[in-house]
Order: sequence, then C-alpha cells, then structure tokens
Amino acid sequence: MATDRSNEGSNALRRLLQRPVNRMETLSEAAYAYILLIPAFILLAIVAFYPLIATFRMSLLADETAGADPFGEFVGIQNYIDVFTGDTRLTREFVDVGLSGSFPFLELGTPFLRQALFVTLAFAILSVIFETLIGFGQALVLDKEFRGRRWVRVAIILPWAIPVAIQGMLFYLIFQPTVGFGSDLMQWLGIFGSSPLASSRDGFIIVLVADIWKTAAFMALLILAGLQSVDRSLYDVARVSGASPWQRFKMITLPIVMPALLVAMLFRTLDAMRVYGVIDSTVGCSTVPSLTCLVVDGLFGGTRIYATAATVAFMTAVIIGLFVIVYLWRFRETEGGFA
Amino acid sequence: MVDTDPNSDLRESSVSRRRFMAAAGATGAAMGIAGCTGGDDDDGTTTVQLSADADFEAIEDEIEAALYDAGLSEDIELEVLPGDFETDSRREDYQAALDANRGDPDIFMMDSGWTIPFILREQVLNLEEQLSDDVLSRIENEYLEASVDTATHPETGELFGVPFFPDYPVMQYRKDLVEEAGYDPEGENWATEPMSWEEWAEMVADVWDYHGGEDEYTYGFTTQAAAYEGLACCTFNETMSSFGGAFFGGRENLFERGDRPVTVTEEPVIETIRMMRAFMYGDEDEEAHPDFPQITNNDLVQYTEEDAREPFTNGNAIFHRNWPYSVVINGEDDAFGEDLGTMPLPYGVSPGDSQYDGLGGTQHALGGWHLTVNPNSQNLDAAIEVVEAFVDDDVMLTVFELNGNLPPVPEVVEAADPDELGPIGRYLDTLAVAGEHTIARPVTDVWPQQAAQVYQEVHDAYTQEKTPEEAMEDLQEQLETSDQD
Repeated sequence: MATDRSNEGSNALRRLLQRPVNRMETLSEAAYAYILLIPAFILLAIVAFYPLIATFRMSLLADETAGADPFGEFVGIQNYIDVFTGDTRLTREFVDVGLSGSFPFLELGTPFLRQALFVTLAFAILSVIFETLIGFGQALVLDKEFRGRRWVRVAIILPWAIPVAIQGMLFYLIFQPTVGFGSDLMQWLGIFGSSPLASSRDGFIIVLVADIWKTAAFMALLILAGLQSVDRSLYDVARVSGASPWQRFKMITLPIVMPALLVAMLFRTLDAMRVYGVIDSTVGCSTVPSLTCLVVDGLFGGTRIYATAATVAFMTAVIIGLFVIVYLWRFRETEGGFA
Repeated sequence: MVDTDPNSDLRESSVSRRRFMAAAGATGAAMGIAGCTGGDDDDGTTTVQLSADADFEAIEDEIEAALYDAGLSEDIELEVLPGDFETDSRREDYQAALDANRGDPDIFMMDSGWTIPFILREQVLNLEEQLSDDVLSRIENEYLEASVDTATHPETGELFGVPFFPDYPVMQYRKDLVEEAGYDPEGENWATEPMSWEEWAEMVADVWDYHGGEDEYTYGFTTQAAAYEGLACCTFNETMSSFGGAFFGGRENLFERGDRPVTVTEEPVIETIRMMRAFMYGDEDEEAHPDFPQITNNDLVQYTEEDAREPFTNGNAIFHRNWPYSVVINGEDDAFGEDLGTMPLPYGVSPGDSQYDGLGGTQHALGGWHLTVNPNSQNLDAAIEVVEAFVDDDVMLTVFELNGNLPPVPEVVEAADPDELGPIGRYLDTLAVAGEHTIARPVTDVWPQQAAQVYQEVHDAYTQEKTPEEAMEDLQEQLETSDQD
C-alpha cells in the first residue's frame, strides 16, 4: 500500500513536470530560443549588475581603516557629500570648484588638471576627437589601392598591438631627461617645462599623445570596415555628375560610414572615461589623476578606504552611463544606429 | 558540400527538445562538480613559502642551509617566491592575498613603512604567543629599537613581525674628485663626522666648480625627489628632521594618530624646502634659501633611487644619497672601488637646537623589512619555526654577505670580519653612525594616504608650482583631515 501511494505521488510529480515540458515542445522557434537563452541572460545580469549594486551598497557604509572589518556603519550618502567637498583621505580631489563673486562665478580650488573629474572629461573629449580625425585619415589611406598598401596597413595597426605597459614605458623613457630625446625637444620648442614627467600640464599632454598614438589605429580599423561597405559605383556616379572630392566625401562617404563611426566613437569614449593604465605607466596618477586613478588609490593606496573607493567607482559608472545616454539620445535618428 | 538550406537541420533533427535540455543540464552539472575537485600532494616534508625580494630567490639554497645550521628541522623546506621589487606593488599584492584570506604565501617580507597598517587591520599573525621566550627577549633587547617599533602594535605593544633587515641611507661621494679639489676626507673624518648642510653644500659647489661644473659633471649631487613614497618617508623626512622639524610634533607622536598636532608649517620644514630649491635652482628662484648654493638641477624632481644612482655610477655626479644596496654597486672594483667615499648625511641644526626631543643633528630615514606570518597559513607551525631560525647571527651574516642587507642586530656587524663582506665592508663605520641616528616615518593605518599627500605637496613646492608656505599650508589642511577618526 505504502509503495502504491508513493508511486502515485511520484506520478503526480511527473505529470506536474511534464506539463511545461510538453508545452515547450509546442512552442514557436523564437520562444524556444528565448528559453534556451534564459541562463545566459541570468548570468549576464549577475555579471553586469551585481558588481554595480554591490559597489553602491559599499558606498553607503563608513570606511574602517583599522580593525578586521573593512566597512563600518551605514552612513547614507555621506561618502558622496565628502567626495564632492574634498573631505576624504583620497590623495587627489574628485572635483574642487567653488563659487566666486565675479565672472565666471566659479573658481578652481586646485588646478584644473589636478581634479580627477576634469582630467577624465578633458582626456575623453580631446582623445576621442583626435583619434577620430586621425583614425579617419588613416582609414581613408588604407581604403585606397596602392603599392605597399600591406606595409602601410601593418605600420598603422602596429601601435594597437602593443601592450599598454610597453606603450607607457616607451613614452616614459622618451621623456625621461637622461634617456629620451622628448624632454629636450619639447623644451626647445618651448612647449614643455624642464621636468615634463612631474608637471600636470605636460604630463597630461604626454598621456594624451600616448593614447592617440595607440588608439587611432583602433578607430582606423572600425572606420575602415565602414568605408569598405561603400558601394564604389556611387563614386562613379558622383564623378560623372561633376561632384568635387569634398562633395563626394560629404554626400556619400560620411553618411554611409556614420553608423560605424558612431559605434567606434562610443566605444572609445567609454574606454577613455576609464583611463588608467597609460597614466600609471607613464607620468603616474599623482601627476595626472583620472577617476579610475582615484578608485585605485582608495582601493590599493595602502590605507583601507574601500567605501570611499566604492563611492568614486559608482560615480564613475554613473558619469559613463550619462555619456552613453547622451550618445544614444543624440543619435537615435541615425540610420542603423543604436536603436 | 555545405548545406545552405537553413531549415534542413530542423527537419532532419532527431533530438527532441526535452532530450537536449536534459543533456545540456547534465553536462553543465557534471562540469561544475569536476571544477570543484582539486588535488593534494604530500611527500612528507612541509614547504614553507616566503614571499621576498627577487634577489633572495637566487640565494635561496644558501639561506636554507644557514637556516638548517641555525636549528630549523630538515623536513621543512623553504621556497622563496620573488615579490615585486617596487614596494607599493608588493603591498598591493599582499593586501589582495590577505583580503581574500589566502593561505599562501606562509611568510611575507613586509616593508617597515606599511607593516603597521596590516597589524591594525588584524591581517598578520600576533607573534607574541607564538615565538619562544628566548627569541622574543632577543628581539626586545638586542634588535634595533626603531625597527622593532615598526613591527609592533602601536597600542598594545605586541610583536607582529620580526625585523629582517633595517635600511638607512648614506651620502656617497667620489673621493678622488674631492681630493683633487684639495679636500682631505680621511684627515677630517668625513666617514663618521657629520657636516652641516651649509658647510657641505659650499664644499660640493666648490668641488663641482673645480672640476668644470655642469659642463663636465651634470650634477654635483643627486638624491630622490620624485613624487613617490621615498620622498615622504625618507629624503624629505630625514632632511626636515635634521633641521629639527617634524610632521606631527616630534618623535613621540610617530605611531599613534588622533590627538597629535600637525606641524608642517613650522620654520624648519619650510627651511628644508627652501634649501632644496636653492640646490636645484640657485638664486634665480626667489624662494630659494639665500645661504645655500646651487649644486644640482631640477632633474631631481623626477628621480627615484635608480634614476638618481645611474648618473652617479656613470660618472656624471659627484655626491649621491642612497641606500646600502647602491654602496655595494658603486664600491665594486669595476665601478669606483676605493675611490668611493661615504659619510653620514649632513645636519641642519645641532641636536640641542630642535624644539622636539631627538631631532636635529644628522638623521637617516629608517627603511627596512620585516617577516610576518600569514594567519591563514596551512603550515603555521613550520612558518613560525622558519621565522625563529632567522633570529640567528649566522643567518643574518649570510644575508648581509650575499645581499648587502644589514643585520637587524647592530652588534652582529661589529663581530663580522670586514674583509669577508666585500665592498660594503669598507663602509661599516659610516653605516654604524647612520644606524645610530635614524628617523622612522610616522606609520599609522592612514600613513600610506598621508605619505601621498606629503609627497604631492612637497613635490609641488620643489617644482616651483607653489611657494613653500602655500604647499605646507595645503598639506597642513590635508593632514589634519586625514589624521582625524
């Protein structure tokens, strides 16, 4: 009897399980595909959102510099207030702007290039502009048929293949007074002061040039992909109609390349907002502090201020998120864009 | 031929959806379980991992032999893991390992500049209950006290690390060039009698000038003035201390924060910066100290240890401040050999003239390294045994002879045979003076951050971005904020 009852139970369970499984067999192809993708979606959500939520949670706790536990009590948004007002143990300011009585009614407490937010924004904007222009130029060259094109292609792509630590070391040594020529050359041109690796302004330029040197190649590759999808016969038509080279570029090349260009620019902007490696391996975070530099400083600076580090990290994520939204919103109309 | 009809696969598919799901699920589960299993190997001996400088890996066998001679059981094997040469990177590696509660390495070699933060965070083993009484009393009574202080819990006084070797700098110089310029280092006991900075700088300027100045030798003097830990802990700290200044109101306030005053806007601190500006920029700089000549240039603001050593070793500088490792390099016969001289660092004011006890006079930044034990180690007893074996004269001398690292017990050097020690054996007299006049950095749980604030502001003053007063006022504010609870 007892066995019968348990058999009945397991049969009931089986029927219960069979129902969704049977239903699965009758689903449309698309619905079945989504079911198969669910584990991947869950994994992605965990990988993408869990760190963000965990970071936010940490940013609401107090720092504990001593004792076994790295976090103290719940302090709400106090860390955010402290980061904005500069009342932290971070070695550089996140932002330090005060109000003043005269135009432009704002004044900088510390120099512009000593404030992580401004360094990062200036770096992102300038590097993306230059990389896009230079990358576009390189892509146009690569798109042409000429002798030795393969070699030019290799030369343009080579910097992209160099690891960031080596790239940083190259530029560091170029501007090291006893080793490289860069320091003397730039002083002779009157652009740099006598110790470029120790000056925020000169250091910023070095980091910017190092990044452009390397990443313009990346832009060139992405833009080249767009250029090669242009139907050549369009140019023939344009030529026959008497369009000048500039008109051909403006009316044919640019609109067709635009979607690829925007994706490339978005990628580069996101990347540039997180800049760290090239700074750390050339002039150092103390000379040119970026947002990520502050996070690393809080996390690995030796004093345990993990909550402050989490605060800056979360703010960096928010700022990057804002940039993405601006891109998506600004270019939502673009054909083949991000929508 | 590749079948290009996208529907053909579906039609021909013989695997039902439920079967596919079951198979995929089972495979996933099986692989998950497989990933969780690991292996253990056991061959009767215990291997204790010591994370240390890469140089120690090369002399691992000699150290191990010395440890066995000192009584370490032969069934314990020592494995040296080369750590990062750069102290900050090393600290980051250890922090990551200990934050993750990793059990390896068993023993860490920690910089005396950042051992205390690990102690305060309860991340290294309390040795007070682990080491034998003999070993504890030897460390307490015979080891260099200033070194032991930086391996001790500042509030409870308990020992958490065993000093491995201390480090203090000396001034090195080209004895041949100085003698040609008419000075007599031997007769005037330069090796042991400190000069004042003023007297010393006049002499350096004179020797540099005698030998053709900048055209012949790029620098009269090189030291480290880049924006890095070494500026805060060491070059600036010792020079300021020799002028009688302090970060936090004197020696008694070094290791406990909270109630101590911040004293970086005081005159001796400002004087130090103005002297360095005179050394680098001469009288072109309005903020330069008028009593000091120019003896170098502002390349120094980009120099760390090796950057500063290279011009000296290459014959482009006459005087050079650095740690004993560089004495070993510069004193080699194929470098300068007997032409290398050493002297204690010059002083700013006489010892009695500082408002704080024990400051003023010649001062040498105290560096050095400690051995600490990983509390998560699986081989705790063996690790303790290894650490105890390092508290042995012959082990210390082995390390000194092979690697130039000073024994943590000063008497051990005195008992050693100078001829067996190689080049550094010629400079023991200067090292002894330096070892008696050291100044530790103010290590607390927030020192790593404060050090960055110090070197950034001092560096701003050195690079003329700020006047000495502006920089020190900014620093005062930052240190007051970071020193609070």
